[in-house]
Amino acid sequence: MSLQVLIYQGLVGVSAAMYLWLLSAGLTIVFGVMGVLNFAHGAFFMIGAYLAYTFYGMYGLSFPVAIVLSLVGTGLIGLVVERFFLRPVYGLDHSFQLLLTFGLVLIFDDLVKAAWGGVFMIPPMPRFFEGAVWVLGMPFPVYNLFVIAAGLAVWAGLWLLFEKTWWGKLVRATAADREMAAAMGLDVRRIFATVFALGVMLAALGGALGTPVRVAAPGIGTYMIVQAFIVTVIGGLGSLTGAFVGALLVGVLNSYGTLLFPTVELALIYLIMAAVLLWKRQGLFGREQA
Amino acid sequence: MARRKNVVWQVWPWILFGLTACLMASPAAVAQECELGVDRIRVGGQGVLSGPLADYGRQIQMGMQLAIEEINAAGGILGCELEMRFLDSELAPAVGVRNARQLVDWGANFLVGTDSSGVAMALGPVLQELDVIQFFTHAATHRLTEELVYEQGIEHIVRVSTPVYQDAVGALVVKDMPEVRRWATIGADYEYGYTAWQMFKELLRRHRPDVEFVAEAWAPFFTMDFTPHIASVMAARPDGIFVTPWGGEAVMILRQALQMGVFDRIDVWWQAMGGSVDVLEGLTREIQADRFQGKLWASGRYIHNWPDTEMNRRFVQAFQERWARLPNYSAETSYSAVYIAKAAIEKARSLETSAIIDALKGMVVETPAGTRVFRDYDHQFEYTVPAGRAVYDPAYPIAVLGDLRVFETEEFWRYPPFGPLE
Repeated sequence: MSLQVLIYQGLVGVSAAMYLWLLSAGLTIVFGVMGVLNFAHGAFFMIGAYLAYTFYGMYGLSFPVAIVLSLVGTGLIGLVVERFFLRPVYGLDHSFQLLLTFGLVLIFDDLVKAAWGGVFMIPPMPRFFEGAVWVLGMPFPVYNLFVIAAGLAVWAGLWLLFEKTWWGKLVRATAADREMAAAMGLDVRRIFATVFALGVMLAALGGALGTPVRVAAPGIGTYMIVQAFIVTVIGGLGSLTGAFVGALLVGVLNSYGTLLFPTVELALIYLIMAAVLLWKRQGLFGREQA
Repeated sequence: MARRKNVVWQVWPWILFGLTACLMASPAAVAQECELGVDRIRVGGQGVLSGPLADYGRQIQMGMQLAIEEINAAGGILGCELEMRFLDSELAPAVGVRNARQLVDWGANFLVGTDSSGVAMALGPVLQELDVIQFFTHAATHRLTEELVYEQGIEHIVRVSTPVYQDAVGALVVKDMPEVRRWATIGADYEYGYTAWQMFKELLRRHRPDVEFVAEAWAPFFTMDFTPHIASVMAARPDGIFVTPWGGEAVMILRQALQMGVFDRIDVWWQAMGGSVDVLEGLTREIQADRFQGKLWASGRYIHNWPDTEMNRRFVQAFQERWARLPNYSAETSYSAVYIAKAAIEKARSLETSAIIDALKGMVVETPAGTRVFRDYDHQFEYTVPAGRAVYDPAYPIAVLGDLRVFETEEFWRYPPFGPLE
């Protein structure tokens, strides 16, 4: 097996990892700041895909515009969910949040079926992204390069947002100590609402970016969310760096597993997860819980 | 007072008579119509209704419903009206078994459907326990009929759709392409994918001892990104790729393969069940633009443009009028399953499971897919389906299989004693 083949296979894995990263980023931010484990996060991935399909594939808007509209639309739905469903259960035990968000998964799956039907949807590839560039003597899709760039841009953007802006400071303060932040006069409710909206928009971006090469179908979020949970367990729930590294690990190892151990590649990811749990229970970048 | 009491006494017997007559008339009227002594015949169905494969369950449902509506409009089965209930199998064996129990509790006289082989294998023994027949209309594992019926004798299993034997038909086409020597697979990572690849290899090797099988990659249900699989088999530089993920997954894998320039570097891509309507719908744009360069081949468990018979044309037209889509294979097999049940019940003049099974023995039946012959020994209906190249034909709203190659079932089906594979 030549070195070129190995590098190429790794690059393929990196592009697959970016969808996982976008989904896991939202999951981990919402948990880190709000302490809510959002099972319905995958549903927002699906809604993002459907809205992007609708604006781009059905109404014929340009692909970037469709993505922006899909993010805005999903964000608004997220705000409604946060205000009317999540807010009443913040103070309750985690199990209530799990039940509630799991219920939302079922409801959203059925709403999507009612609105778009059970048939999967596939828009055409935007002309700009058609074709491939040659990497190490093999054609690599332009679109996958774009997805890698988008994933890296989101990583940089989130880092700037949380580390370098006033709003990021407020969010970090709230995450560190909710009651103290409230006592200092911060509007914790509003911060929660915006953070939740940001989280679901990241999921929606993952879904929307997938539409030209994947499909929009009911239930696609459920499969993705399982992977995202593996990513956050490996990386450490609540850590953005952890989500990024975890997604890269899962994506790239999955890709190499497919090439090198085609019959047991599925087990590989779970083995890594088990090893991480045994070695560092809180995940690679997770903080020790008190 | 006396006069009024008198009137009541005069009317009272008539009221009593009227009430009795009404009470007796309604069940009597039904009993007179339905010769089987039930208020209606209940048909239970199940298939996958969620995820990228959801169209198959939907097509099963549409096929069954069309048949039931036609039969009811024509007076039912022996005067009995049919009623249907349909559940989502979620491709999960536990859900499939729960559904079967629920449908039997509801009073189902027979069951139709089931997409996944995993669900089908779990259902087999349960059907025996529930003493209800299921007509399988999509699940393809050869073990359902070879092991559960032929070896273990579970007579409640009847399969109307083709087994995985059909997936190997491609070998009979590509054996005549001498330049295609190196084969790889991107397989569905469950029994169906492994068996289809085995049968394809076995059949091809029989005709072409010179071929090599150079790479394998396996993708589980609900894979969204097939690029690692495509990259890893392309690293082995194959001439042909045999591919078994189906439905929306087939569309994704082919679109991703296009992006990776695969069709510039291979001679044949065999998409085992690519003759499915949802796959062809999803790829029509690319096929019309000849993006696959004529290298995309496929088969199905029925294709709507073959055979060219009056019955098939009528079915396709009725289906399009009713549902505004072309029928997929799971629609045809489920539609035919309901008509096969009708024929068996009419012959048995009974809803008893054992009587229906006896009535199926030796059955030869005309269906939209052609003549189906019931194999008494494994309860498999035998019929052939052609293979072809994905082409665009302006006569149809979506891409179709053209350049059709028809083979006798004897050339690629399995017959007893069923030996192990390989």
